[in-house]
Amino acid sequence: MATTSSSTQLTTGPAAAALLAAGLGLLALGLSHVFSEASVPFKDAMQALGNAWMPGASGIGPYSGKETVALLVWFSSWVALHTAWRKRDVSLVAAGIWTFMLIGLATTILWPPVTHVLVK
Amino acid sequence: MTDPRLTEPVSARSLWIVIVVLGLIGLTTVLLTAPANTLMGPGAWAIRGALHGTCAGLFMVTSTIGLFQAYRIFAGKVWNLAELQIGSVINAAMALLTIISGNWIYIPYRTSGGPRSHFLEVAPEIHQVFFEFKEFAALFSFPLAVVAAYLLVRYGGELYERRGLSTVIAALLVLVFFYFVVTFGLGAAITKLKSV
Repeated sequence: MATTSSSTQLTTGPAAAALLAAGLGLLALGLSHVFSEASVPFKDAMQALGNAWMPGASGIGPYSGKETVALLVWFSSWVALHTAWRKRDVSLVAAGIWTFMLIGLATTILWPPVTHVLVK
Repeated sequence: MTDPRLTEPVSARSLWIVIVVLGLIGLTTVLLTAPANTLMGPGAWAIRGALHGTCAGLFMVTSTIGLFQAYRIFAGKVWNLAELQIGSVINAAMALLTIISGNWIYIPYRTSGGPRSHFLEVAPEIHQVFFEFKEFAALFSFPLAVVAAYLLVRYGGELYERRGLSTVIAALLVLVFFYFVVTFGLGAAITKLKSV
Protein backbone atom coordinates (compact mmCIF):
# COMPACT_ATOMS: atom_id res chain seq x y z
CA MET A 1 0.00 0.00 0.00
CA ALA A 2 2.72 2.39 0.95
CA THR A 3 4.60 1.49 -2.24
CA THR A 4 1.59 2.36 -4.38
CA SER A 5 1.31 5.73 -2.67
CA SER A 6 4.96 6.57 -3.11
CA SER A 7 5.03 5.40 -6.75
CA THR A 8 2.43 8.03 -7.67
CA GLN A 9 4.31 10.82 -5.92
CA LEU A 10 6.07 13.51 -7.90
CA THR A 11 9.85 13.25 -8.05
CA THR A 12 11.80 15.51 -5.71
CA GLY A 13 14.32 16.59 -8.38
CA PRO A 14 12.36 19.73 -9.37
CA ALA A 15 12.10 20.78 -5.71
CA ALA A 16 15.84 20.32 -5.20
CA ALA A 17 16.51 22.24 -8.43
CA ALA A 18 14.37 25.18 -7.32
CA LEU A 19 16.06 25.27 -3.93
CA LEU A 20 19.64 25.11 -5.16
CA ALA A 21 19.02 27.61 -7.96
CA ALA A 22 17.81 30.20 -5.44
CA GLY A 23 20.93 29.64 -3.36
CA LEU A 24 23.17 29.95 -6.42
CA GLY A 25 21.43 33.15 -7.52
CA LEU A 26 21.93 34.74 -4.11
CA LEU A 27 25.57 33.64 -3.97
CA ALA A 28 26.03 35.21 -7.42
CA LEU A 29 24.60 38.43 -6.00
CA GLY A 30 27.13 38.36 -3.18
CA LEU A 31 30.08 37.56 -5.43
CA SER A 32 29.14 40.20 -7.99
CA HIS A 33 29.10 42.79 -5.20
CA VAL A 34 32.50 41.69 -3.83
CA PHE A 35 34.07 41.69 -7.32
CA SER A 36 32.46 45.04 -8.05
CA GLU A 37 34.01 46.52 -4.91
CA ALA A 38 37.38 45.02 -5.81
CA SER A 39 37.56 46.00 -9.46
CA VAL A 40 36.56 49.22 -11.20
CA PRO A 41 36.24 47.54 -14.64
CA PHE A 42 33.93 44.93 -13.09
CA LYS A 43 31.88 47.68 -11.48
CA ASP A 44 31.62 49.42 -14.87
CA ALA A 45 30.54 46.13 -16.42
CA MET A 46 27.80 45.81 -13.78
CA GLN A 47 26.59 49.29 -14.62
CA ALA A 48 26.58 48.49 -18.35
CA LEU A 49 24.72 45.23 -17.74
CA GLY A 50 22.00 47.03 -15.80
CA ASN A 51 21.78 49.80 -18.37
CA ALA A 52 21.21 47.18 -21.06
CA TRP A 53 17.66 46.41 -19.95
CA MET A 54 16.57 47.92 -16.65
CA PRO A 55 14.58 51.19 -16.69
CA GLY A 56 16.26 53.79 -14.49
CA ALA A 57 19.42 51.69 -14.13
CA SER A 58 21.70 54.69 -14.44
CA GLY A 59 20.04 56.14 -11.32
CA ILE A 60 20.83 53.15 -9.13
CA GLY A 61 24.37 52.53 -10.35
CA PRO A 62 26.04 49.11 -10.53
CA TYR A 63 23.37 47.74 -8.19
CA SER A 64 21.25 47.21 -11.30
CA GLY A 65 23.90 44.94 -12.81
CA LYS A 66 24.27 42.94 -9.62
CA GLU A 67 20.51 42.36 -9.56
CA THR A 68 20.76 41.27 -13.19
CA VAL A 69 23.55 38.80 -12.46
CA ALA A 70 21.54 37.31 -9.60
CA LEU A 71 18.46 36.94 -11.81
CA LEU A 72 20.44 35.40 -14.69
CA VAL A 73 22.24 32.87 -12.48
CA TRP A 74 19.04 32.05 -10.59
CA PHE A 75 16.90 31.41 -13.67
CA SER A 76 19.56 29.73 -15.80
CA SER A 77 20.63 27.38 -13.01
CA TRP A 78 16.99 26.63 -12.23
CA VAL A 79 16.34 25.66 -15.87
CA ALA A 80 19.54 23.58 -16.07
CA LEU A 81 19.01 21.76 -12.77
CA HIS A 82 15.31 21.22 -13.44
CA THR A 83 16.12 19.71 -16.83
CA ALA A 84 18.73 17.43 -15.31
CA TRP A 85 16.69 16.31 -12.27
CA ARG A 86 13.06 16.51 -13.35
CA LYS A 87 12.61 12.73 -13.45
CA ARG A 88 14.86 11.88 -10.52
CA ASP A 89 14.43 11.74 -6.79
CA VAL A 90 17.05 13.96 -5.20
CA SER A 91 17.63 14.19 -1.45
CA LEU A 92 15.76 17.23 -0.20
CA VAL A 93 17.76 17.17 3.01
CA ALA A 94 21.02 17.50 1.07
CA ALA A 95 19.57 20.11 -1.29
CA GLY A 96 18.19 22.07 1.66
CA ILE A 97 21.49 21.99 3.55
CA TRP A 98 23.45 23.13 0.48
CA THR A 99 20.93 25.86 -0.25
CA PHE A 100 20.94 27.27 3.28
CA MET A 101 24.75 27.14 3.32
CA LEU A 102 24.85 29.14 0.06
CA ILE A 103 22.38 31.66 1.49
CA GLY A 104 24.45 31.94 4.67
CA LEU A 105 27.64 32.44 2.66
CA ALA A 106 25.98 35.09 0.48
CA THR A 107 24.69 36.92 3.56
CA THR A 108 28.13 36.81 5.18
CA ILE A 109 30.05 38.23 2.22
CA LEU A 110 27.41 40.94 1.76
CA TRP A 111 27.83 42.17 5.34
CA PRO A 112 29.88 45.32 4.61
CA PRO A 113 32.66 44.79 7.22
CA VAL A 114 33.28 41.33 5.71
CA THR A 115 33.09 42.68 2.17
CA HIS A 116 35.69 45.31 2.99
CA VAL A 117 38.02 42.68 4.46
CA LEU A 118 37.64 40.52 1.34
CA VAL A 119 38.29 43.43 -0.98
CA LYS A 120 41.47 44.58 0.79
CA MET B 1 -24.48 14.90 13.58
CA THR B 2 -22.44 17.57 11.82
CA ASP B 3 -23.37 21.18 12.35
CA PRO B 4 -24.71 22.37 8.93
CA ARG B 5 -22.98 25.73 9.41
CA LEU B 6 -19.62 23.93 9.24
CA THR B 7 -20.39 22.13 5.97
CA GLU B 8 -21.87 25.12 4.17
CA PRO B 9 -19.50 26.16 1.35
CA VAL B 10 -17.88 29.53 1.77
CA SER B 11 -18.37 31.90 -1.14
CA ALA B 12 -14.98 33.29 -2.15
CA ARG B 13 -16.71 35.95 -4.26
CA SER B 14 -18.66 37.23 -1.25
CA LEU B 15 -15.47 37.39 0.76
CA TRP B 16 -13.71 39.41 -1.93
CA ILE B 17 -16.67 41.79 -2.18
CA VAL B 18 -16.56 42.36 1.57
CA ILE B 19 -12.79 43.00 1.41
CA VAL B 20 -13.10 45.44 -1.50
CA VAL B 21 -16.01 47.32 0.13
CA LEU B 22 -14.14 47.58 3.43
CA GLY B 23 -11.04 48.76 1.55
CA LEU B 24 -13.02 51.46 -0.26
CA ILE B 25 -14.63 52.63 2.98
CA GLY B 26 -11.21 52.80 4.62
CA LEU B 27 -9.66 54.65 1.67
CA THR B 28 -12.52 57.16 1.51
CA THR B 29 -12.26 57.80 5.26
CA VAL B 30 -8.51 58.33 5.01
CA LEU B 31 -8.76 60.68 2.05
CA LEU B 32 -11.53 62.72 3.70
CA THR B 33 -9.77 63.04 7.02
CA ALA B 34 -6.15 63.29 5.84
CA PRO B 35 -5.57 64.77 2.37
CA ALA B 36 -3.27 62.72 0.16
CA ASN B 37 -0.61 65.41 -0.09
CA THR B 38 -0.40 65.58 3.70
CA LEU B 39 -0.23 61.82 3.98
CA MET B 40 2.60 61.52 1.47
CA GLY B 41 4.60 64.49 2.67
CA PRO B 42 5.99 67.56 0.95
CA GLY B 43 9.03 66.02 -0.75
CA ALA B 44 9.48 65.84 -4.51
CA TRP B 45 9.73 62.06 -4.24
CA ALA B 46 6.67 61.66 -2.00
CA ILE B 47 4.77 59.38 -4.38
CA ARG B 48 7.74 57.01 -4.71
CA GLY B 49 8.20 56.96 -0.97
CA ALA B 50 4.51 56.33 -0.34
CA LEU B 51 4.43 53.53 -2.91
CA HIS B 52 7.49 51.80 -1.48
CA GLY B 53 6.17 52.22 2.06
CA THR B 54 2.80 50.78 1.04
CA CYS B 55 4.39 47.80 -0.70
CA ALA B 56 6.66 47.15 2.30
CA GLY B 57 3.70 47.47 4.66
CA LEU B 58 1.68 44.95 2.68
CA PHE B 59 4.70 42.65 2.43
CA MET B 60 4.99 42.85 6.21
CA VAL B 61 1.44 41.49 6.43
CA THR B 62 1.97 38.68 3.90
CA SER B 63 5.37 37.64 5.28
CA THR B 64 3.96 37.59 8.81
CA ILE B 65 1.13 35.37 7.62
CA GLY B 66 3.82 33.26 5.91
CA LEU B 67 5.63 32.94 9.22
CA PHE B 68 2.45 31.67 10.88
CA GLN B 69 1.90 29.26 7.99
CA ALA B 70 5.47 28.03 8.41
CA TYR B 71 4.73 27.18 12.02
CA ARG B 72 1.57 25.32 11.05
CA ILE B 73 3.34 23.40 8.30
CA PHE B 74 6.30 22.51 10.50
CA ALA B 75 4.09 21.50 13.44
CA GLY B 76 2.01 19.29 11.14
CA LYS B 77 -1.20 21.08 12.08
CA VAL B 78 -4.22 20.90 9.82
CA TRP B 79 -4.00 23.49 7.10
CA ASN B 80 -6.00 24.63 4.14
CA LEU B 81 -3.86 23.89 1.09
CA ALA B 82 -5.52 26.41 -1.24
CA GLU B 83 -5.07 29.11 1.41
CA LEU B 84 -1.38 28.24 1.69
CA GLN B 85 -0.87 28.25 -2.07
CA ILE B 86 -2.64 31.55 -2.71
CA GLY B 87 -0.98 33.16 0.30
CA SER B 88 2.47 32.09 -0.80
CA VAL B 89 1.96 33.42 -4.34
CA ILE B 90 0.75 36.77 -2.97
CA ASN B 91 3.74 36.79 -0.63
CA ALA B 92 6.13 36.33 -3.58
CA ALA B 93 4.31 39.02 -5.58
CA MET B 94 4.60 41.49 -2.69
CA ALA B 95 8.31 40.71 -2.39
CA LEU B 96 8.75 41.56 -6.08
CA LEU B 97 6.68 44.76 -5.89
CA THR B 98 8.61 45.90 -2.81
CA ILE B 99 11.91 45.37 -4.64
CA ILE B 100 10.72 47.18 -7.78
CA SER B 101 9.41 50.14 -5.78
CA GLY B 102 12.64 50.01 -3.74
CA ASN B 103 14.66 50.38 -6.94
CA TRP B 104 12.50 53.37 -7.84
CA ILE B 105 13.05 55.11 -4.49
CA TYR B 106 16.76 54.21 -4.60
CA ILE B 107 17.23 56.74 -7.44
CA PRO B 108 16.47 59.83 -5.31
CA TYR B 109 18.41 58.27 -2.42
CA ARG B 110 21.54 58.35 -4.60
CA THR B 111 21.03 61.76 -6.21
CA SER B 112 23.33 64.61 -5.34
CA GLY B 113 22.12 66.15 -2.09
CA GLY B 114 20.07 63.09 -1.26
CA PRO B 115 20.30 60.90 1.85
CA ARG B 116 23.31 58.98 0.53
CA SER B 117 25.52 62.04 0.19
CA HIS B 118 24.18 63.35 3.51
CA PHE B 119 25.10 60.15 5.34
CA LEU B 120 28.52 59.91 3.67
CA GLU B 121 29.21 63.43 4.89
CA VAL B 122 27.96 63.23 8.48
CA ALA B 123 27.94 59.52 9.38
CA PRO B 124 29.44 57.33 6.64
CA GLU B 125 28.80 54.06 8.48
CA ILE B 126 25.04 54.53 8.14
CA HIS B 127 25.35 54.22 4.37
CA GLN B 128 28.45 52.05 4.13
CA VAL B 129 27.25 49.41 6.60
CA PHE B 130 23.54 49.56 7.25
CA PHE B 131 22.16 50.81 3.94
CA GLU B 132 24.51 48.71 1.82
CA PHE B 133 23.50 45.60 3.74
CA LYS B 134 19.83 46.54 3.57
CA GLU B 135 19.85 46.97 -0.20
CA PHE B 136 21.15 43.43 -0.68
CA ALA B 137 19.24 41.73 2.14
CA ALA B 138 16.09 43.11 0.53
CA LEU B 139 16.71 40.98 -2.54
CA PHE B 140 16.87 37.70 -0.60
CA SER B 141 13.17 37.55 0.19
CA PHE B 142 12.03 37.32 -3.42
CA PRO B 143 13.72 34.10 -4.64
CA LEU B 144 13.01 32.42 -1.30
CA ALA B 145 9.33 33.37 -1.48
CA VAL B 146 9.15 32.23 -5.12
CA VAL B 147 10.62 28.83 -4.27
CA ALA B 148 8.24 28.41 -1.31
CA ALA B 149 5.28 29.24 -3.56
CA TYR B 150 6.55 26.96 -6.33
CA LEU B 151 6.92 24.01 -3.96
CA LEU B 152 3.50 24.59 -2.42
CA VAL B 153 1.81 24.81 -5.81
CA ARG B 154 3.73 21.94 -7.46
CA TYR B 155 3.60 19.40 -4.65
CA GLY B 156 0.27 20.44 -3.13
CA GLY B 157 -1.28 17.63 -1.13
CA GLU B 158 1.96 15.65 -1.04
CA LEU B 159 3.09 17.93 1.77
CA TYR B 160 0.95 15.85 4.09
CA GLU B 161 3.10 12.80 3.37
CA ARG B 162 6.54 14.34 2.91
CA ARG B 163 8.08 15.63 6.10
CA GLY B 164 11.30 16.78 4.39
CA LEU B 165 9.42 18.90 1.88
CA SER B 166 7.19 20.54 4.46
CA THR B 167 10.24 21.29 6.64
CA VAL B 168 12.06 22.95 3.75
CA ILE B 169 9.01 25.08 2.87
CA ALA B 170 8.62 26.13 6.50
CA ALA B 171 12.31 27.10 6.63
CA LEU B 172 11.96 29.14 3.43
CA LEU B 173 8.97 31.06 4.79
CA VAL B 174 10.84 31.77 8.03
CA LEU B 175 13.80 33.09 6.04
CA VAL B 176 11.53 35.30 3.92
CA PHE B 177 10.25 36.85 7.14
CA PHE B 178 13.77 37.16 8.57
CA TYR B 179 15.20 39.00 5.55
CA PHE B 180 12.09 41.16 5.37
CA VAL B 181 12.37 42.20 9.03
CA VAL B 182 16.08 43.03 8.67
CA THR B 183 15.40 45.12 5.58
CA PHE B 184 12.29 46.79 6.95
CA GLY B 185 13.94 47.67 10.24
CA LEU B 186 17.02 49.18 8.61
CA GLY B 187 14.89 50.99 6.02
CA ALA B 188 12.63 52.49 8.67
CA ALA B 189 15.60 53.59 10.77
CA ILE B 190 17.39 55.17 7.79
CA THR B 191 14.19 56.95 6.72
CA LYS B 192 13.79 58.40 10.21
CA LEU B 193 17.34 59.76 10.05
CA LYS B 194 17.04 61.28 6.56
CA SER B 195 14.22 60.67 4.11
CA VAL B 196 14.34 61.26 0.35
